[in-house]
Amino acid sequence: MNMFGRTLLTLSLMGAMVMGAQANDKVLRVYNWSDYIAPDTVKKFEDETGIRVTYDVFDSNETLEARLLAGKSGYDIVVPSNSFLAKQIKAGVYQPLDKSKLPNWKNLNPVLLKNAAASDPDNAHAFPYLWGSIGIGFNPAKVREVLGANAPTDSWDLLFKPGNADKLKACGISFLDSPTEMLPAALHYLGYPVNDKDKAHIAEAEALFMKIRPYVAYFHSSKYISDLANGNICVAVGYSGDVLQAKARAAESGNNVVIDYSIPKEGAGSFYDMVAIPRDAANVDNAYLFMDFLMRPDIIAEITNSNGYSNANAAATPLVDEAIRNDPGSYPSQAVMATLYAVPDQPIATQRIMTRGWTRVKLGK
Amino acid sequence: MKRFNFSRFMLIFGLMFIYLPMLILVIYSFNASKLVTVWGGWSIKWYVGLLDNTQLMGSVVRSLEIACYTAIAAVALGTLAAFVLTRVTRFKGRTLFGGLVTAPLVMPEVITGLSLLLLFVAMAQLIGWPQERGIVTIWIAHTTFCAAYVAVVVSARLRELDLSIEEAAMDLGAKPFKVFFLITIPMIAPSLAAGGMMSFALSLDDLVLASFVSGPGSTTLPMEVFSAVRLGVKPEINAVASLILLAVSLVTFLVWYFSRKAEANRKRAIQEAMDQTANEAWQPQRAATV
Repeated sequence: MNMFGRTLLTLSLMGAMVMGAQANDKVLRVYNWSDYIAPDTVKKFEDETGIRVTYDVFDSNETLEARLLAGKSGYDIVVPSNSFLAKQIKAGVYQPLDKSKLPNWKNLNPVLLKNAAASDPDNAHAFPYLWGSIGIGFNPAKVREVLGANAPTDSWDLLFKPGNADKLKACGISFLDSPTEMLPAALHYLGYPVNDKDKAHIAEAEALFMKIRPYVAYFHSSKYISDLANGNICVAVGYSGDVLQAKARAAESGNNVVIDYSIPKEGAGSFYDMVAIPRDAANVDNAYLFMDFLMRPDIIAEITNSNGYSNANAAATPLVDEAIRNDPGSYPSQAVMATLYAVPDQPIATQRIMTRGWTRVKLGK
Repeated sequence: MKRFNFSRFMLIFGLMFIYLPMLILVIYSFNASKLVTVWGGWSIKWYVGLLDNTQLMGSVVRSLEIACYTAIAAVALGTLAAFVLTRVTRFKGRTLFGGLVTAPLVMPEVITGLSLLLLFVAMAQLIGWPQERGIVTIWIAHTTFCAAYVAVVVSARLRELDLSIEEAAMDLGAKPFKVFFLITIPMIAPSLAAGGMMSFALSLDDLVLASFVSGPGSTTLPMEVFSAVRLGVKPEINAVASLILLAVSLVTFLVWYFSRKAEANRKRAIQEAMDQTANEAWQPQRAATV
C-alpha cells in the first residue's frame, strides 16, 4: 500500500508539474479539426515567435460548443463552423476582434467576408479560414447518357425541373439529410430569400422536394462519397470537400468513374470554418499573432495545398496548387462566389417547421 | 464422419466475425494508397510516417498513460467498495450505497460527462482547482465509471470466497489488515487483474467522457481518430491500431505464458509436498517395525 501510495503521489505531482510548466507567458492553445492545418504550420509559427503551441482537435462542432458554453475552455483560438458561430456569438462566448492587431486582414476575400457576415455581422468576432459549398456532384458520363449532351449540370434545374429527376432515377440521386441546408436551396431556387420565415414559402419548398421524392434514392450526409466514387449513384447534392474526396477515390481506384462538381449558377449554400478568440482566453496577444499568421498568403496557401479545402484569402490564390486553383468547384469566379449564400441560422420556431416538413419529405407523404 | 456440422460452422463463422475485421485492418495498414478503402499495393510508409506524426503519437501515449492510471485507481477504489458491500452486510443506507456504486454502469456517458464538466468548472471557481482541465480530470472521470465495473467483478468473486480461510487466519492471530493483504487479495487476484484490464480497455476507447472533461494539451486517441474522420481517415490510423493490437496480443500472451508456468510450479509444489508427507507418514511406521 505504501509503495502504491507513493507512486500515486509521484504521478499526481508529475501531473501538477506538467500543468505548472504550461502556465508561462509564451503559450497558445489552439482547438481545431485534425489535419485541418498544414503539417509544419505550427512549427513555423513557433520558430518565428517563440510561442509554444498546443494543438488539440475536436470531433464535432457540438463538442466544441459544449466546451465553450460551459466556460473556461482554456483555449485561445477555436475554429467553429459559421452556423454554430452565430449561436455562440449570441451566447457571448467570443470577444470582438481588434482589427488593428490584424494587419493581414486586408488579404481576405471581401466577397466571402460578406457571405460569412450573415453569421457574424460586420465580421466582428471571427474571420473565415477554410470554406466550401453545397453543390451538385455528378457522374458526367451517366448523366449525359440519361439526359443527353445538354444536361443542365450547372443548374438546380438538373434536379428541380420537372422531367429531369424521373429520368435520373435510373442511375441514382441523393440529397443531404439536413433540412437547414436543403430547404434553403429550394427556397433560393423558387426566388425567396434563403432565411425566409414565411410558412407558406417553406411549404412551397417542401412541395418542390415532394414532387421529386419518388425519384430520390436516399437522403444521407456522407454515404454518397463512396457511392459516387463506385458509380452506384450519378447525382448527389453534397459538400464540395466530400465530392472532391469522391473524385479522388474514383481516380485512384481506376474504376473509370469520373466525378465532377458544380456550383449551380442560381447560387448555392456555403459553409465557413471561422477562427475566433473565446472571451476568457488567457493568451489574447498570442492569439492575435496566430490569427494574423493564418492570414498570411504563404501560410494559408500551404494549408489549402495540404488538405484541398479552399481558403478565404484572396492574396493566397496565386500560391495555391494549380490543380486546386483552376477547379471551379473549389475556386469559383468572383461572379459565382457572389451568388453563394451562407447557410442561414434560423430561429427555433422556423427550424421546427423545416424539420417537420423535411420529415414528411423523407417519408414521402 | 460429419466434417461440417452446424456447431463447427458456427464456431468458424463466429471466430471470423470477430477476428476478420481486425485482420483486414492490419492488412490495410500496409496499404500504399492514401485512401483507406482502395488497395494500392504493399507499403510500410504509414508506419514510417507515424514517427513524424507527433500529434498522433502524442495522443497514443497520452491515452495509454491515462488508461494505466485509470486501471490502478479504479481497481483500488472498486475493490474497497466491493469489500464493504459484501462483508459489511448491515449498515444504514447499504442499499443506497450499493445503488450508488453501480449507477455509473447504467448512466449514459453523456450525462456523466456533462455533470463532471460542470463540477470541474464550478470547482475551479470555488476552490481554484482544477485551474485547467487535462489528463488529471480525464483520469478522475474514467475512474468514476471504471470503478463501478471493478466493484461488480470483484464483489462476484468475494461473494463466493470461503470465509473460513480468513477466519482460520484470524484464529491464528492475524490482524484484519494482514488477513486482507495476505489471504483475501491473493485469492481475489484474478478478478483484480480482470477488473484492471477491463478498466484499461474502457479508458482507452472512451470518447464521450474525455471530450467533455479534457482541456488544452490532452487530446486522446479516440478524439484524434474521430476528428480525422471529417477529412477522411488515413491509413496512419490503421497503423496505430495495428501497433496497439500487437501490443495487446503480446501482453496477453506473456500473461498466459507466466500464469501457466506459475500454475505448473504450484502443481509441482503441491505434488512434492504430498509426496513428502506421505513419505514422512510411512517412514516412522517402518522404523517401528524394525
